[in-house]
Amino acid sequence: MRAGLIYLLIAFGLLSVSYLKDKQKTKEALKATFKILYTIMPVLIFVFVLMGLIQAYVSRETIAAILGKQTGVMGILYAELIGSVALFLPPAVFPFGGYLHDNGAAYGPIAGFIFTAILIGVTTLPLEFKLLGKRFTIARNIFTFVIAFFLALFMEVILG
Amino acid sequence: MKSLFKNDALQFLSFSVGITLLIYAVEAAKGLIVVRTVYLTFFDVLDIIVAVSIFIGLFQVWVKPATIVKWLGKGSGLKGFILVCTFPILMGGSLFTIFPLLKTLREKGARVGAVASFITAWGGKAPLLPLETRFLGWPFALLRLCLVVLFAFLMGILMDWVGEKSGETNGMRK
Repeated sequence: MRAGLIYLLIAFGLLSVSYLKDKQKTKEALKATFKILYTIMPVLIFVFVLMGLIQAYVSRETIAAILGKQTGVMGILYAELIGSVALFLPPAVFPFGGYLHDNGAAYGPIAGFIFTAILIGVTTLPLEFKLLGKRFTIARNIFTFVIAFFLALFMEVILG
Repeated sequence: MKSLFKNDALQFLSFSVGITLLIYAVEAAKGLIVVRTVYLTFFDVLDIIVAVSIFIGLFQVWVKPATIVKWLGKGSGLKGFILVCTFPILMGGSLFTIFPLLKTLREKGARVGAVASFITAWGGKAPLLPLETRFLGWPFALLRLCLVVLFAFLMGILMDWVGEKSGETNGMRK
């Protein structure tokens, strides 16, 4: 059985439990679900188009040359930079990461990309400045980038 | 930039279609590769995406932000610190949705380290595990998840250290 179907079954199971406990809350949950789908789907499709573009125009060799095993430390740094500026919502990060892996990118760079794509957002900087302060934002983003590098390196060593 | 994510489903869609059509017009074969990739990946993830969205929807309704703030308290003490490094892993959403929550946490007196740990742990993204394992496998996903906890711990310690150095144990507001 497809893993996705199992998750769906679990999801509907949880929905039923939730419905039995509180109808109103379950309605709200479904509303939230549709809102999430509405937000995520277009971005996902956009990322899939991006994947298609890479498929059509960028060769495996090129990806491997930038993010492959033998690139070592530089591959992780490139991937982290890409992740930092990527306009991805978190759900789009994993398909894209998997896609890069299928096309010759090593685990370390992919981990670096995932960490920074989720945790560092050039687009979210203004909001973080405003809500959490400038110094907090700068320190957090720098530390995140540095620690993500070492963790990605560790993952490369373990999984590579 | 907020609007880019917020409500512009149509913008993203039309942009996607536009690019694809353009490529198809220039070079039909390449255009077909793009369409094929989108089609295959889309139906590959559709059930997972729907399931994940249900998980996050349920979580949002049953665990309100106010509850989270209450649970985590100030994120101080060892128990609070451990909680702040692990619990957010279960949450969905994007950075846009958690920053306002963190502001509240901050105003309730949470240390800067606790806030930084929270953000980092939130990056664990357990609700997206079905997607992550589908595309990168269980070893990758589980290792990353474990490392995220370590990541959150380190961030908390470092950020508190920076906070103290700048003479604002609880501050670092501006």
